[in-house]
Amino acid sequence: MRPNPVASSILPCWVAGLTLLCSFVSADEALMKKHCADCHNEEKAKGKFELSFLGDAPDSENLERWLDCLDLVTAEEMPPEDENHLTGAEREKIVAYLDEKVRSFESGLELSGIPKPRRLNNREFENSIRDVLMIEDIGTHQPTDNLIGDSLFHGFDTHADTLGFSRFHLDQYIEAVRKIVDATILSGEKPELKRYEITPEKIIRANLKQNGGQNVQRGKDGVFDFLDPRLYGYFEDFETVPETGRYKITIRCTGKDRLIYDSAETGFYDGDPIQLSVHLGNRVRTYDLPDEEIFEIQLDEWLASGSRLQMYNPTDAFRMKGNGNFKFQYAIGAFHTREHNPEKYEERVARIKKSPRLRGSVNRWPYWVTAWEGARPQVFGAVIEGPYFESWPPKRQVALLGEDPQAKNAATVLEPIAARAWRRPVHPGELDKIIAMVKSAAETQGEIEAFKEGVVAILVSPAFLMLNFEAIDPADRFASKFSYFLKSTLPDEALREKVLNGKLNSFDAVKKQIQSSVEKGEVDDFLRAFPTAWLELNDINFMSPDPEHYLHYHKKRLSEDMVNEALAFFRHAVEENIPVTEFLSADYSFINADLAKVYGVDDVPEDSKLRKYTFTDGRRGGLLGMGAFLTSTADSLATSPIHRAVYVMENFMGIHPTPPPPDVVIKEPDVREAKTIKEILAAHVSDENCASCHESIDPWGYAFENFDPTGAWRDEYLVPVVLETDEDEEPVANGKKEVTLPIDSSAKFRNGAGYRDITEFREEILSDVNRDRFVRCFIEKLLTYANGEAPEESDFVAIDDILKKSAEHDHRIVETIAAVVDSPLFRGREG
Amino acid sequence: MKTNRRRFIKGLGGALGLPFLESTSFAAEGPTTRFLVVGNPFGMHPDHFFPQDFGQDFTVSRTLKSMGWLKDRTTILSHTDHNMVSGHGREVAFLSGVLPTDAMAFPEKNMSVDQAVARHTGAQVRYPSLNIGLKSGVRMSWTANGVENALITDPRRLFDHLFLNLTEKEKKARRDVIARNGSILDTVGDQFSAILKSGSKADADRIDQYQTSVRELEATFANRESWIGKDKPSFDISEHYRGDVTIESEYNAIFDMVSYAFETDLTRVATIAFPTELGYTDVPGVTRSYHGCTHNGKMDDVTDELVAIESFQIAQLSRCLKRLDAIPEPNANGSMLDHTVVLFGSGMGYGGTHSNRNLPILVAGGGFKHLGHVDTRNDAGENMPLCNLYLTLLQRFGIERDEFNISTGAFDQLSV
Repeated sequence: MRPNPVASSILPCWVAGLTLLCSFVSADEALMKKHCADCHNEEKAKGKFELSFLGDAPDSENLERWLDCLDLVTAEEMPPEDENHLTGAEREKIVAYLDEKVRSFESGLELSGIPKPRRLNNREFENSIRDVLMIEDIGTHQPTDNLIGDSLFHGFDTHADTLGFSRFHLDQYIEAVRKIVDATILSGEKPELKRYEITPEKIIRANLKQNGGQNVQRGKDGVFDFLDPRLYGYFEDFETVPETGRYKITIRCTGKDRLIYDSAETGFYDGDPIQLSVHLGNRVRTYDLPDEEIFEIQLDEWLASGSRLQMYNPTDAFRMKGNGNFKFQYAIGAFHTREHNPEKYEERVARIKKSPRLRGSVNRWPYWVTAWEGARPQVFGAVIEGPYFESWPPKRQVALLGEDPQAKNAATVLEPIAARAWRRPVHPGELDKIIAMVKSAAETQGEIEAFKEGVVAILVSPAFLMLNFEAIDPADRFASKFSYFLKSTLPDEALREKVLNGKLNSFDAVKKQIQSSVEKGEVDDFLRAFPTAWLELNDINFMSPDPEHYLHYHKKRLSEDMVNEALAFFRHAVEENIPVTEFLSADYSFINADLAKVYGVDDVPEDSKLRKYTFTDGRRGGLLGMGAFLTSTADSLATSPIHRAVYVMENFMGIHPTPPPPDVVIKEPDVREAKTIKEILAAHVSDENCASCHESIDPWGYAFENFDPTGAWRDEYLVPVVLETDEDEEPVANGKKEVTLPIDSSAKFRNGAGYRDITEFREEILSDVNRDRFVRCFIEKLLTYANGEAPEESDFVAIDDILKKSAEHDHRIVETIAAVVDSPLFRGREG
Repeated sequence: MKTNRRRFIKGLGGALGLPFLESTSFAAEGPTTRFLVVGNPFGMHPDHFFPQDFGQDFTVSRTLKSMGWLKDRTTILSHTDHNMVSGHGREVAFLSGVLPTDAMAFPEKNMSVDQAVARHTGAQVRYPSLNIGLKSGVRMSWTANGVENALITDPRRLFDHLFLNLTEKEKKARRDVIARNGSILDTVGDQFSAILKSGSKADADRIDQYQTSVRELEATFANRESWIGKDKPSFDISEHYRGDVTIESEYNAIFDMVSYAFETDLTRVATIAFPTELGYTDVPGVTRSYHGCTHNGKMDDVTDELVAIESFQIAQLSRCLKRLDAIPEPNANGSMLDHTVVLFGSGMGYGGTHSNRNLPILVAGGGFKHLGHVDTRNDAGENMPLCNLYLTLLQRFGIERDEFNISTGAFDQLSV
């Protein structure tokens, strides 16, 4: 979370340059010396820490060490259990002493408060343009496809230093903005309305292969059938949208054969509806279809010229056989027909046997393609009418530029657009150059084209592309920050007005504002983007479970379910305003039938919908039992208690362990050694260099050893024996050999608290100290997301104030978020 | 299509003048490095692709026979992979190691290695990269935003793209956009200039970054503008279209256009695909479909057909490399081939077993000290991530990075 190793809360591994000789004067100092100096003196310096490093008082150099001491003594991790002679009262005294010293130092500091300015990330860029132009989204022609993807900082896409800006960015912004503006402001003649009647024969089946024009298949006999869920359908006369405008699209379709095959074989749950997705560029509309009954999908959409229109079957099923390739599923049809319709089976087999190209069993998949009766959508035809316009020029254009914009009035027309885009009033003279350009362009290109240039200029200016300049009015800056924090877009007029009138100056007002935004469903961006960053959900497939040993993970796209579980839990937390600590203490989560299989529960409905489920085994519930966490922290073949420990420490406990020194040789794991991870890591305990840190790290990870790389429970390790594969042979599916080894998921923290397994660990992580650590960590993550940079050590006391405010409200999440927004760390030093 | 065809035929008769360097303004920079990738969808029959012995003095294998002349400037890598499950569909990750569905986990998504190079070299040439197939292709080129690069799948279109000069109207339209973009930069370039003097350091840094970008982009506009004015080099590929048009003549045309595009510095990055659907029955001895041949059931006659198809692909590449080797590199020693990093391979190991574990990978030219046939496995017997090779190739272009997608290090054995 913090950019440099200096930020470690664990006793740092490096040696400071100077050892200060100092005399302890107060009783508290004497107490510390008595209990700490035996190990942390100049000679021994355990954990490479000497008490003298603290000096007399915190300063900007050693503040971090003071904070480390405060955390470790509070958590009773120092002195370690076996060498502890402190009484409870003495410990309290030391904690109070350290706390007081830190406070008195930080109270003299000026709060940083104003974060660095930063570039909008791609999400915010798209949302903001949408709101400047007052349209539904940036358009269906994928105008931002050319942008460079945003780099992440520990999962965060709002991090100032990570969001670079170069001529590539600027070049691509201009191109993207032009494409968006071109599909919003129409300068030519009003295009003619056309009607397209699309029969099934005019629907073409295509696969994702590039320009795979060879294998064209059309609907026939009155129906276009999605026999293979990998393939999509498109309309022959309407592959792409010819002219920008509004279109009415009616698609007649049905759900077919939903319950014929056994869901255990197909992976298609009996409780799931058959669906059809209509992709209008990257605007996707998905519909549940009724079974065997004609349904009319009605769309009325603004479509940009060049947008592709495609139909998909969005199911995650039908990949259960073989290596997950759909074609192997056709064999299900062979066996089903043999069992349920022997006559039809024999008839088909007789035909198959006549084929001169017969190879292998008559039940092989290639012979059963056209007999497929898996659940799927069918389309009977479509009608498209458009482009049509309620008025000309189109409504959206009039809303933006007015009925008949004239370059001589450019200032009046562009000023409100610029104020919206720049999230503040336009300074006198600031638009002059743009106005001059519009006026001169109007002479050669016409009025409308000229205004397009003006709008593009406003949207590629630094005032639009960059957030949080210090040089703008604090109220405007706060309104922007608050809006980008909650909605990832620019502030609307109502919010700006509230801020300018001082109506959001108190904790209560901020809380109410957040609550009402949540109730109105306006914070979806936050509900998705923040937990994605905090929990590093994008990383789930960075080292995905090995495809040969955990094929089920890949067959049912489990990573999507796991990510959705985490997002559903976070949404629940905010919408129900639960205490933040419930992320750890909850005995429930949100699962569907796919996740239930991984989690080993069988009393959930047979469908793909995520529902709240209460676990009774004491092992799962909340973040600690989630597949998203357990999978993204595992290697592909094995689990690593260290990876999991570091994740828990950094993302839940706010402790930032120092990376191992660069000269350390880390042994490459060799799965064939048939050793447990604890045996392999024995060096951590025996080598004192490693032990001083790993005694603090490892206990945060061993508890999860009963969860395999997909997050499924296991009672013992199944260590795969890697077989030398003969290049000529098809790899033997699931023919692996394994040895079993016992799992030891117990460990002991330095303060003596120990646990035997995950259930006891879950109690330990709810101790008062750990609860505070978790809430503090959550607050720091919110600040990182909001400010575009991680808080500093010098923000410790200000964060403590947020923590206190949160505690006053039982750590309820809305109040905790409000306390963050109301903090000087968010508002800036002006308050 | 009709008009294209006409323009194309007209273009065929174009004069074959001396090639001139497209980016003359950069010609003084010294040696340039180019990148040619040739990929196929089904991998290679391993027994006939991989030489039987290792080392620089390896015995040239049957499939690679046509490359024998280049033996001392070739490295064939055994035992590399992207840790992918068996089956089709992984060839999309050939040049990235990352499936599109997993792209979110990577800051540069599933950017392919050709695009990583193109980002570095692209500003200096007319076309940052060329991505080419015939009729269809292999989906192997992806941008840093996880978006697939559309292929040019028709040699006629490629010809128009590379060599057909813009009409006056097109020129005007392009100049127009550049001029408009230039005016826009004029209006926004110094917004906030006041901050530079009076604002906080953080503000000033950000504004400075923005203004630098504006200046650099304006310079690029000037280049683009000059390219519009300059005629493209003229070229003649009519010899390949005189008799029956076969896939051989079409690939001859494609490879000739690419080598000429390198020669005239139209581009420095090109990918060429041998797609799935192509009918190879033009190739002597081939009667079956490409895919059908990969599932040969170890029958000798079918395997022979597959090896004939694969040998054809290699022969096409070899022919192109010979051409490049005959061109002296301007401003540097050696031939153009010695300054062109050539990568041949596939994201699939071998279609017959659907295995994606031992990818057929060949590197040639590029001025490397080549290794012949090399076993890339480590001491524990594990395959090398192919991204390690890609990292080394990127470093060859002076791109300073220490990782690429799922690399675990560089393939340092291959050095310049």
